[in-house]
Amino acid sequence: MAEVILRQLTKHFGSVEAVEDVTLRIPDGEFLVLLGPSGCGKSTILRLIAGLEDATRGEILIDGELINFKDPTKRNVAMVFQNYALYPHMTVYKNVAFPLETARMAREEVAEAVQRAAEMLEIEALLKRLPEQLSGGQRQRVALARAIVRQPLVFLMDEPLSNLDAQLRLQTRLELMGLHERLGITTIYVTHDQVEAMTMGQRIAVMQDGRIQQMGDPTEVYDAPANTFVATFLGAPPMNLVSGSLERDNGQVSFRFEGYELAVDPATSGIAPDTLDEAVGEAQLGVRPEHLTLASPDAEGLPGVVRFLEPVGSDLFVSVNVAGHAVQVRMPPDTQVSTGSNVRLAFDPARSHIFGADSQNLRS
Amino acid sequence: MAGDVTTDPVTLEEAPPPEETSEAAAMAARLAEAGRVKRLNDRTRMIIAYVVLTLFVVIAIGPAFYLISPAFRDSVSLFTYPPEWIPSEPTLENYRFLFSSTSYVRWAINTLVFAGATTLLTLVTNTMAGYAFARLRFPGRNLLFFVILATLMVPVAAVLAPTYLTVTTIGDWPIIGNWIDTDTYLGLILPSAVSPLGVFMMRQFIQTLPDGLYEAARLDGAGEWRIFTKIVLPLIKPALVVLGIFVFMLTWASYLWPLVAATDNEFRVLTVGIASLKGQFVTDWGILAAASLLTIVPVTIVFLFFQKWFVQASMAGALKQ
Repeated sequence: MAEVILRQLTKHFGSVEAVEDVTLRIPDGEFLVLLGPSGCGKSTILRLIAGLEDATRGEILIDGELINFKDPTKRNVAMVFQNYALYPHMTVYKNVAFPLETARMAREEVAEAVQRAAEMLEIEALLKRLPEQLSGGQRQRVALARAIVRQPLVFLMDEPLSNLDAQLRLQTRLELMGLHERLGITTIYVTHDQVEAMTMGQRIAVMQDGRIQQMGDPTEVYDAPANTFVATFLGAPPMNLVSGSLERDNGQVSFRFEGYELAVDPATSGIAPDTLDEAVGEAQLGVRPEHLTLASPDAEGLPGVVRFLEPVGSDLFVSVNVAGHAVQVRMPPDTQVSTGSNVRLAFDPARSHIFGADSQNLRS
Repeated sequence: MAGDVTTDPVTLEEAPPPEETSEAAAMAARLAEAGRVKRLNDRTRMIIAYVVLTLFVVIAIGPAFYLISPAFRDSVSLFTYPPEWIPSEPTLENYRFLFSSTSYVRWAINTLVFAGATTLLTLVTNTMAGYAFARLRFPGRNLLFFVILATLMVPVAAVLAPTYLTVTTIGDWPIIGNWIDTDTYLGLILPSAVSPLGVFMMRQFIQTLPDGLYEAARLDGAGEWRIFTKIVLPLIKPALVVLGIFVFMLTWASYLWPLVAATDNEFRVLTVGIASLKGQFVTDWGILAAASLLTIVPVTIVFLFFQKWFVQASMAGALKQ
């Protein structure tokens, strides 16, 4: 168990900036998720911590010890790879025992530790099999067993669920959470799946282009996205964004787009008056689908026409055309609405976000 | 467009009109006709292929078969007219002579030691070099690899003299010269104990192993040596067998270097020994044939025994994770 600190960690591959100036503190026992699209540098951070890549700049500390120049064999971190990287010629037992045998542990102790890990992951029955005789889910468990068997300081997981089918992924997700709860080992988990990130992470670091865009607990990141990237990356369907401008008229700031005007009140929008004044100019308005409601055409709100209906059982997603913008609205499944009908969209200004010209949320 | 989409399933549910069935039957008949014609073509093609292949087989193994008859006849009956293929009085006299009056057994032992040790050493040096070129990062790696590959272009005869000089020079050194010199096993073996082709082959093969395996092993605490012995070696077994057989057969049949390096009968190998049976004026072809046949048989058996590994190795690129 250990605390992991990254200080201004930077990694360049030639002219490609894979990781840029990342500073993070991961307290002992935390489950941190690095979330971002492919190529955002999240896996590179894991590989830097593991020692599979050398940092261009910056420091990596585990329990206060600088490990930048420590050989990966001596860092005592375990990694679960996306493709599991099981040794194909070794039985499951041998695979799990490998790190212990490498550490020259006595044979009885190895057997005991392997047995314990196998029990925890329910793979006792598979110990004599070869990896090629296992299903994807079973391989995943063996990879996890190999990682936990030597009780590492830090767990690194590189998209460990992405090769599993949807149902198995759901189940393994819960098991991973249970495992973390039981072992309490500091875990850094990389994924591009926002649902995984939201459900598993105690904290989420959202990454783009090698930089951390926002860091916080899942609800914080979801409810108060720092910028348009985070706002649209988290949430399915993503937050609705419309481009327009913030304008000031007689001391009142309002957001205008396509001939519509919405008053922005510092009190309800949660934006500091100074910030609002400074942001006058290009801007984007963002509202999550669940914070929009459909109202009858004669009610208050933005007028629009229903284009598509997507019932998903628990919800009904309604795509509404508002002045040329496709806006997604989440409604209860029993909502009576048909395509082509005129509607009005209403929302609570307190749950809307305004992003300035630099794409940053004015509220933060 | 929308209309098309909705009417399509309806036509599918309807029974197909009768004209279509007859049309389909006609089409089937036509296809069958075409197939028969094609099958005839295939047959002709097959015959041609067999004829050509048979020709190649005859060229390839004909000389070896040609050895069998004279190997079991005495030299006098070899030149009877008309020539007889199956000896009327088969004899083992040639073999008796080989074992009693020549150093055949000694040569065979020498060859076994020479080919066996060369194979083992080659496997060790080539897998290690291949691993280094495939996995390790060191300055000059590519240049060095290129130089090794370049030696493939140099004919054996061209390096014969320098190799000979090197070995005789080492032979003049104190102590070590007792072990490595002409007419010593080590002098015979060491210059052949590395093959650029083998280094190349091993490097390519090791490169096909997924990076994840090395990375996982490193994080599991394994150093280079442990990764090499516990992960890489077991996974390249098919390549090891192929290279082993390849080197063994080449060494078993090699002539030029053993001819130069082993002048003493004590250290002669089979190829050189058999050649020495050829007299300046008179040659006993029966004995020569018997000796040659006896020399070919063991390698043939080795090859046949390991044949399935060749097939496996050719599929080894598809190594499953």
